[in-house]
Amino acid sequence: MSKQSDSEPFILFELAGTTYGVRSRFVQQVEMVEHVTPVPNASDAVEGVVFARGQVVPALNLRVRFGFEKAPFDLRSRLIVVNTGGRVVGMIVDTAREFLSIPAAAIGAPPEALTGLSGKYLEGIATLDRRLVLILNLDEVIDIANTQTVVDGEPEAA
Amino acid sequence: MSTSDPDNSSEFFAQFLDDYYAECDEHLTLVRRNLLALEAQVGQAQVEQALLDELFRSFHTLKGISAMVGLSAAEQLAHHMESYLRALRQSETILSAEGVEALIAGASTLEQVVAARRNELPLPGITAVVARLEAVASDFSSKSAQDALTDDAGGKGLEPDGAKAEAGARDAVTGATARTWRVEFVPTPALAERGVNVNSVRARLQEIGELVQAKPQVRGKGEIAFLFVVVTDADESVFASWGIENLTFAPVEETATAGSPTLPSETAAAQEPEPGGAPGTEPVPQSRMLAPSNVVRVDLARLDELMRMIGELVISRARLEGHLGRLKKSVSAAEWRALQETSLAMGRQLRDLREGVMRVRMVQVGEIFERMQFVVRDLARESGKRITLELLGRETEIDKFLVERMTDPLMHLVRNAVSHGLETADERVAQGKAAEGKLTLRAAAVGESVLIEIADDGRGIDKGRVAARAQAKGLIGEREALDDAALLELICAPGFSTRDEADRGSGRGVGMDVVRNTVEELGGRISLETESGKGTRFTVELPLTLAIAEALIVSVDGQKFAVPQSAVQEVIEVETSAVKALENNEIIPYRGGVLPLVRLARLFELNDVRERAAFHVFVIGSGSSALGVAVDRIIGQREIVVRGISDPLVQVAGIAGATELGDERVVLILDVAALRQSAANR
Amino acid sequence: MTASLRPLRDVGFGEASSGLEAIERLALAPVDLMILDLNMPDMHGMEVIEFVRGHQAYSGIPIIVLTTRGDEASRTGALAAGATHYLTKPFDPHELTEHARRLLDAG
Repeated sequence: MSKQSDSEPFILFELAGTTYGVRSRFVQQVEMVEHVTPVPNASDAVEGVVFARGQVVPALNLRVRFGFEKAPFDLRSRLIVVNTGGRVVGMIVDTAREFLSIPAAAIGAPPEALTGLSGKYLEGIATLDRRLVLILNLDEVIDIANTQTVVDGEPEAA
Repeated sequence: MSTSDPDNSSEFFAQFLDDYYAECDEHLTLVRRNLLALEAQVGQAQVEQALLDELFRSFHTLKGISAMVGLSAAEQLAHHMESYLRALRQSETILSAEGVEALIAGASTLEQVVAARRNELPLPGITAVVARLEAVASDFSSKSAQDALTDDAGGKGLEPDGAKAEAGARDAVTGATARTWRVEFVPTPALAERGVNVNSVRARLQEIGELVQAKPQVRGKGEIAFLFVVVTDADESVFASWGIENLTFAPVEETATAGSPTLPSETAAAQEPEPGGAPGTEPVPQSRMLAPSNVVRVDLARLDELMRMIGELVISRARLEGHLGRLKKSVSAAEWRALQETSLAMGRQLRDLREGVMRVRMVQVGEIFERMQFVVRDLARESGKRITLELLGRETEIDKFLVERMTDPLMHLVRNAVSHGLETADERVAQGKAAEGKLTLRAAAVGESVLIEIADDGRGIDKGRVAARAQAKGLIGEREALDDAALLELICAPGFSTRDEADRGSGRGVGMDVVRNTVEELGGRISLETESGKGTRFTVELPLTLAIAEALIVSVDGQKFAVPQSAVQEVIEVETSAVKALENNEIIPYRGGVLPLVRLARLFELNDVRERAAFHVFVIGSGSSALGVAVDRIIGQREIVVRGISDPLVQVAGIAGATELGDERVVLILDVAALRQSAANR
Repeated sequence: MTASLRPLRDVGFGEASSGLEAIERLALAPVDLMILDLNMPDMHGMEVIEFVRGHQAYSGIPIIVLTTRGDEASRTGALAAGATHYLTKPFDPHELTEHARRLLDAG
């Protein structure tokens, strides 16, 4: 953890071959994916609920959320529980195993040309050496208003 | 002060930091309380000595632990406050208002520094505050510096801080020939066979001196090596005499150990004094505060664990009772009675245990109130308003978990009251009110709930403005009259509050919607009373007890659900052949009449297994409004611990909450009223 | 714990009672799987994980971590640092054997 004031620690995760980053100060815990209880009539992206620290927490399937193909959970799948704006929500990702300090200077705004999902859910893109890390806009990702099934980048009513 | 120590990136250090933050919280809480008490004694000839002692100790400890984690700004602040307290203790200066102000400013800034570090934000400046502290202590600076030397060296029962640990280790070994050595060991299979491994090397080093560091490393060609740093007065020949190949050693030049944080792993390996001021070594103060040695600090997570275990015991006992019931016919009446009595006794004891653990989790609401005093004081100063803060019922106890969750929301309400509710002195006088605005925080236990009120006698909520904004957002129609309840609904609507209110240090926006969500998630309610020109009062009611209810556990399409027993009239088994279809509905013969049937599988879009010969139904409602809900199987009856579900992502019709049956899997609790509604709507 | 792993045949075991020893094992013989208790006398299991993951020669070794029930922070940290799997103590020996077998076969 760097002590420079312009660099922030992130937790990185993989989703469908791409690396994303979440500010670690919003991450409450990272768990394996176990025992998700489906919630009837909840939106597609909501895999269900799990118990985390004695609280019942919704688990979002990020693949579904971002319009990717669903993939079966395996030993590497992780549930990243975030705590932001008073809400505690879990996100299911392919794998999560890295802490990385990213300097603010390395994060740029997402290019205008990225329409649809990407524009909404991304806060920025970090360019590090030979790596691209997409920085998530957590509030948008967990916003209920965004739970519509998305096909080919076009939102359609669930 | 080391700021680029690569070891800071280790997870271990992160956990060490967590302990540091916890200790800071504790000490700062005590400091806050004591400073407020001190304020009341300004100008007195004799200030309560115990109070000064306690403050001094707190600052001394804060200085020590801050040095250990390398947070120099905090260390400096603590140091200056400690110096001033030292002077006060030795009756060398009379407590002045300016002095207390400086201390309060110092404590606030210290708190901010720690919080900033915790949230990885830039640290606030400390120069101004330090200057103030130095100014109040300045007359005595030369004298206090001397005392500082005698104090620490003479060891008045206070622990040396970690910055001196390595020097301490060196001194402990004594001897003019004590030197620091770097020893490197590369393990090989051949050596291991001879019994020479990292453990044996470590043991030898510990025998000849103090082991200050032991680290694994990977060298150039990928080979693993171990690096030890040891302080010893043995000389080279000793190392050589061990006859270990792959053991290299070299003396290290003594460097000024300017307080580089001592790695906790060294503490384990060496025998060093405990880092800065462990509470157990402090003499018990005479003040009215809880004597630290009588207090045990417990991780809230462990208490959650205890509660969970108790929940499980409750469930097991319920199951036991079920089994016992079935035994009735097989045992004698006397044995049966004995079994019953034991089971009942257990039930009673469990209740007592539950209450006991809950009492452990209880803390005084005063804890939150105190924090608010500082916030109000700052805000008042900033806005130039004059505010009296009235705190009532601070000894009211609530569950620590509630305190944790409610602190931010309550803080938000307080800020709103100060920033928007209360007017400036001039405005108030013009209205014929007292120049000083009054803010009242009140806590009271009422039955099974705790009530927390935040009231101000300011201008009240501007209904007109709220209505206008709501209309603009399409939330209400034109000209709707707004009562207090409707007003509350509006200001708590997501997106309604503007997030441009400067929210210092409270992270991302805590708006009114978050306040209400939090309260409801905790099973509570929030209500509003407001009158234009007179003031506003928010009342939060929170349940004290764990909600435990009897429930029927049912299974549909392999998934379990819980149904509140209180809503269930009866439970029956139905043959598929007995079901008659009537237009869109299904009915079965029931008690001489018919019972409409609704299938849970269909309501929840689960798999409806129709091929069964028979299935189970639980009946809700009675008489003409009776309704049968069909499930695959009724599994049994259990006592469950009810937990709320309030995140919007999973708020669906028909689900009232969630519980867990002891295996960490969530089981959803059905909302019977909603079921009935859904059934009616088909 | 070794006893619970006995059902796994053709597997050799090395034991270490401290973090440094555990790391030393890597140097002494090729390791295919590490089972690590986070609470060790000389260094925290986390440091071992970081060490192992931090060096190319060893970064691919699967690590099963044993954590104390209720100790969420360690679990999170361990997984984030690169542990492959975790088990909570007290653990079911069959679970351990199964996971170990699975990871060894996959490797």
